[in-house]
Amino acid sequence: MQPHELSLTAAADAIRARQLSPVELADSVLERIAQAEPRLRAYVTVTAERTRTAARAAEHDIAAGRYLGPLHGIPMGVKDLIDVAGTATTASSRVRGDHSAQTDSTVAARLAEAGAVLLGKTHTHEFAYGLTTPQTHNAWDTGRVAGGSSGGSAVAVAAGMATFALGTDTGGSIRVPAALNGVVGLKPTYGLVPRHGVTSLSWSLDHVGPIARTVEDAALVLAALAGHDPRDPASLTTPATDYRPDAGTDLTGLRVGVPRTYYFDQVAPEVEAAVRRAIDQLQALGARLVEVEIPMTRYIQATQWGLMVPEATAYHEATLRAVPELYQGDVRVLLEAGELMPAGDYLRAQRSRTLMRQEWARMLTEVDVIAAPTVPATAVTAGQETITWADGTVEGVSDAYVRLSSPANITGVPSLSMPVGHDTAGLPIGMQLLGRPLQESVLLRVGHAYEQTQPVHDLAHAT
Amino acid sequence: MSAVELTPPEAARWAARAGLPLPADRHAAVAATAHHIHSVVAVLRELDFGDTPPAPAYRAEQEKPYAAA
Repeated sequence: MQPHELSLTAAADAIRARQLSPVELADSVLERIAQAEPRLRAYVTVTAERTRTAARAAEHDIAAGRYLGPLHGIPMGVKDLIDVAGTATTASSRVRGDHSAQTDSTVAARLAEAGAVLLGKTHTHEFAYGLTTPQTHNAWDTGRVAGGSSGGSAVAVAAGMATFALGTDTGGSIRVPAALNGVVGLKPTYGLVPRHGVTSLSWSLDHVGPIARTVEDAALVLAALAGHDPRDPASLTTPATDYRPDAGTDLTGLRVGVPRTYYFDQVAPEVEAAVRRAIDQLQALGARLVEVEIPMTRYIQATQWGLMVPEATAYHEATLRAVPELYQGDVRVLLEAGELMPAGDYLRAQRSRTLMRQEWARMLTEVDVIAAPTVPATAVTAGQETITWADGTVEGVSDAYVRLSSPANITGVPSLSMPVGHDTAGLPIGMQLLGRPLQESVLLRVGHAYEQTQPVHDLAHAT
Repeated sequence: MSAVELTPPEAARWAARAGLPLPADRHAAVAATAHHIHSVVAVLRELDFGDTPPAPAYRAEQEKPYAAA
């Protein structure tokens, strides 16, 4: 096995045992980037010199006995919406053509303190306002979409071009590309991971979180990211936690909610079958399945749009007036049309969110986690705009991809997406586990238990 | 076109009132997108909010009811 193929956990164990040097690992991942990047286009910028310098420093520090922990010497990609001092935060947009970040975002600073090594900045759908990331190609089939908006991060992790990566998630932007590329993505509880220094799409819906190859890997990254920062007004004062799940797979006593409504409506049969098989596996590990009724489903899309559209337009107010022609067409028209939304619609969405959070809180007293598909379909062909369901209903691709993930953004509950198989075309299928606020440890324990019953995943090798 | 659907000139006027002058070649596309957004969010008018306050920002860990896991 080449170093770039190692999970974060395995690489960290090998580095700590001095069986692998951070320089060997970084060189292997950079070599993999050189090989795969021309086909996949996951990165806006690869900072190879900086990577090698940081890897040598990590090697030196570890040799001198200054081991910082499991992220020390681990190479990572950072979504190009997140500030890293000395690099541009382009948001994959021409609007940010002359950008240069002067300081680290909170998450970049925390990963640097933990000894992680930056590989570069990964592509996003422009300003995170979309679900496909058209610049980037799916890690399993270059003719398919990467998903978005953290498409570059998910593709890089899936293809061995980063050992882990950071993404952001406003309606599903970590979990959607994670699902479509067969990797793990965690959208933490709203406010658990500070967003200072992260370009906003929608303040009240934005989250930052890890994309990794295993649930255990995601837990290691989350431990480094979580914690209060007063510069993010939504930041929680939750005490630090060790999120690493233990090795046990016994889920006796755990109540797994299986949605009777919404999450299995208009879902591709192969996706539904794979997710239900995974739920059966949770039951085989001792979990008790409990049917749940998802509340207020008629108002999910309206609430998501009612919050996101005016907040995104507000963020872009100045540049939409100064340089509108520099935005891509799909993003520009949404930002412009957002100017026409009355405050009454925004307030109704905020009040609807209050009701929805109350209803979800009630539902989450009945179960410990909810298991559901992350996205209703696997990766569509690049350029495909709609999905036609079995009953003849036609749905926009972005609407379909965001449909099952946005409830966790509206309510702020944590959601962990993990791979649960492939369809007959060989494309990955994702399942999400949703839980109570700040119960990431429960999601990670359940996800890790499931993961241990499955064969280890190979890296994606797109053709 | 329904009674509540904005015409392209109306969309341009609304945008101008919001401080965003739109070139003429943007009017139709913006009107169509604004109409689509309106059709999605208008469903929220069905809800009976009573005294429900908006939730512009919140702290997830301070709220009830959540039993201990």
